[in-house]
Amino acid sequence: MFKAIVDNVKGLYSLLVGLHITGRYALGPFPIWLKLKKPENGYPQLTTHYPRQTIADEDLVTFRGPVELIPAENDPTKSKCVSCMMCVKACPSNCLTVVKGDEGKAPKLWTSNFTLCSLCGTCVEVCPASALRFSHDIYWVAEKREDMINDLLAKLAKNGRN
Amino acid sequence: MSGSLFVNPFHFSTMHENPGDMLGDFYTHNFEKGRISHDSMIINLGPQHPSTHGVLRILAELHGEYVLRAEPILGYLHRMHDKMGQVKTPWQFLPNTGRVDYLHPIAWNWAYVGAVERLAGIEVPERAEYLRVIACELNRIASHVMWWGAFVLDLGGVTPILYAFEEREKINDMLQIVTGSRLTMNYMRFGGVCADINDRFIKMAREFIPRMRERLEMYHKLVTGNVILARRITGIGPFDPDLCYRYGVTGPCLRGAGVAYDTRRAEPYGVYDRFRFDIPVGETNCSMGRYMVRMREVEESLKILEQALDQLPDGPIMAPKAPKATWKLPAGEAYFAVEGARGKIGIHLAGDGGKSPYRVKLRAPGFSNLSLFAEASQGTLLADALAILGSLDLVIPEIDR
Amino acid sequence: METILVPYTTDITLLSVLKLVVALVAIILLLIANSVVMVYLERKVAGFVQRRPGPYEVGPWGILQTVADTVKLLGKQILIPGNSDRFLFLLAPVLSMFPMFLMFLVIPYGPILTGLEVNLGLLLILAFAGMEGLAVIAGGWASNNKYSLIGAARAVSQSVAYEIPLILAILALAFQHGSLDLSVLNRAQEGWIWNWNIFTQPLAFLIFVITCFGETNRAPFDLPEGESELTGGYHTEYSGMGFALFFMAEYTSMMLVSFLAAVLFLGGSNAPVDIPLINGVWWTLIKMGAFMTFMIWVRWTFPRVRFDQLLNINWKWLLPLGLLNLWVTALVMKVVGN
Repeated sequence: MFKAIVDNVKGLYSLLVGLHITGRYALGPFPIWLKLKKPENGYPQLTTHYPRQTIADEDLVTFRGPVELIPAENDPTKSKCVSCMMCVKACPSNCLTVVKGDEGKAPKLWTSNFTLCSLCGTCVEVCPASALRFSHDIYWVAEKREDMINDLLAKLAKNGRN
Repeated sequence: MSGSLFVNPFHFSTMHENPGDMLGDFYTHNFEKGRISHDSMIINLGPQHPSTHGVLRILAELHGEYVLRAEPILGYLHRMHDKMGQVKTPWQFLPNTGRVDYLHPIAWNWAYVGAVERLAGIEVPERAEYLRVIACELNRIASHVMWWGAFVLDLGGVTPILYAFEEREKINDMLQIVTGSRLTMNYMRFGGVCADINDRFIKMAREFIPRMRERLEMYHKLVTGNVILARRITGIGPFDPDLCYRYGVTGPCLRGAGVAYDTRRAEPYGVYDRFRFDIPVGETNCSMGRYMVRMREVEESLKILEQALDQLPDGPIMAPKAPKATWKLPAGEAYFAVEGARGKIGIHLAGDGGKSPYRVKLRAPGFSNLSLFAEASQGTLLADALAILGSLDLVIPEIDR
Repeated sequence: METILVPYTTDITLLSVLKLVVALVAIILLLIANSVVMVYLERKVAGFVQRRPGPYEVGPWGILQTVADTVKLLGKQILIPGNSDRFLFLLAPVLSMFPMFLMFLVIPYGPILTGLEVNLGLLLILAFAGMEGLAVIAGGWASNNKYSLIGAARAVSQSVAYEIPLILAILALAFQHGSLDLSVLNRAQEGWIWNWNIFTQPLAFLIFVITCFGETNRAPFDLPEGESELTGGYHTEYSGMGFALFFMAEYTSMMLVSFLAAVLFLGGSNAPVDIPLINGVWWTLIKMGAFMTFMIWVRWTFPRVRFDQLLNINWKWLLPLGLLNLWVTALVMKVVGN
């Protein structure tokens, strides 16, 4: 009986400890609460408020977004692709379409269907010409399924001209 | 005997046969046949239920609030990963392993990569082995921390899961540096890993270790010490070692029952034999034991992480003879098991010299752990049954594969 | 009120009826305003505890979020599940909200500001508090849903278990001050801060706080809702305004127990320190708000108790403690009184 009472009093104390922890997280440490100190990385709030705040670029460098073609050194509107079809064969989700051009090795159509892509990176790794890479675009959205089919050559030409 | 094996699953009784049979499906009807008590209530927990962690469905017969019997029903998330492994080449199947268990994808990566390496006899460079350990342990911490939050959520506490996400975000930031993704990671390659770690990663990991220890103290104060939680889970769902052996339970559930079995120690793979770490064993075999095992495993993972960062050698991260995409798997069989966050992950690979393996068998720990639920939940209160379910740490994509 | 109307009429009956109507209208407005503010407060507190900003987008600091939600709930269809008891199903939300208006009539908001002066105000509140349980049972039963049924069954035993310790705790106060009139209890705590009942009856306050959570079905005693077990409990099948009324009833009963806590234990309209412009009514409101914030804070901190534990807490701990407290109070009153 006595032990049960002691246990229950201890239990009530443990509830107070819990309340203290959540209360401290809600208000933040005193200096921040009284606005004496500037909060570090948004403390007590930790989330990123997307349209107003964005992720720092250094966090995005390693992010693997939809694949894109690497521009050639001499002409940024052209790709380094040699139409060897290695990526098309290796892709586990069959999301790449490459059509070889009429003259030379350069492709005339290069699309990646992002509705199918699982971002596994096999295409990037098998490419013998190192013509592919991951983009770091995490904000890309599309309204229609057709918009998710990326024409990478057109994108490259557009980016190269700018 | 109606021969329950040969019941046509596509046959549903029509209104004129028996009006009562219109409700429910094949499983409900079969479950109803075994009714224990005439005034019991058969209730469907799931496939859409807040505490079944996805699309698990549990049929339960309740007498008041007591569970007379319960039966998990699977198949709502079946994606045929085993079959996909037989159709695709190993290179193409590798990203799938990250999708099997979304909370600990790197262990599944490792299991598949390890099986292929064992079959083909590929030597992995030392640095790559260490990187694998670092990534795998980080991911294990993320998985356990996530479980901690979800388990308290099952018991009705909403806030801890959001605190758990803080730690998970830190780990995801780190793993994103090396794997490029934040959820279904695909880090390993046959013969090595895909990316080396950089100074930023090491700095973040060094900062993370003391921070995680501090946060663990907070977790214990907020949740473990809380009298409501302690009384909710102490003594609930005792698993005997015998029961665990019968169902093939592994991982923290088995260690919670008092058996110090850890694949990292029992069948050392990679460089795990070079680290000093303890295997936490539950003092009581109830849910509280399993809870404490997981929390202490986070500490052990931090220890391993610390040692791995200290010992990290220089060198290449890919084997010189790493297979290319067009590579053919040699004939033969190989089995490779790793310790995942939920238990022993095993992959059995049989090759016949073709492009894709002849047979791939994935051993998911969650499947064995869940099979015990029917027996463990008998006679418990509904709330306790859900606490036991939560303490098993289920990830449904892994169970259904 | 009376003094304003005295030049026009001196009919006492007419005056009291007029006063009652004005009070009821004011209470309805208060309850609606309370729900709007409380939903916002609950989300903001939850957000801060969980290190999020909480509602943020609708209006400055998200203050219009509740209005947007109300419009959404008003626009939603009320789905009635098949084979359910239509009449009870629609009656239950109304039943949960209806008795609330009566209970707010007798609460002394200020030293003299109260809707209805009755000398058995406390008894009236305790009597009508049981109606809340009735509404939950009706809703759970009429829904034709097994989860709702379990939730309703839980609500019955929970409300039976909690009312007795609650009454015992309050009865000790009635012993001490010799009245069931809330205004008398309010005035009895005048003077210094240690005249407040929280300091003279700490055990009764502890019992009262615990039973408050059970009485209002709030976490950690939100078993009739039991989200992770019963997917919403008694209001699983409700949508639109049916759900909104249950929701409002929850916040209203929260406000009721907070007012009770303020008036019975925290000194009511008596000021702990003299601050100009903040007089009686404001102090009651401040204390009520503080207690409600405490209830929200508790909800976002603790896990839920199990059902048998909840009954054990009541019958094995709170009931004996309440009886002990009552006995000691009676003894002390006998000794001191003579």
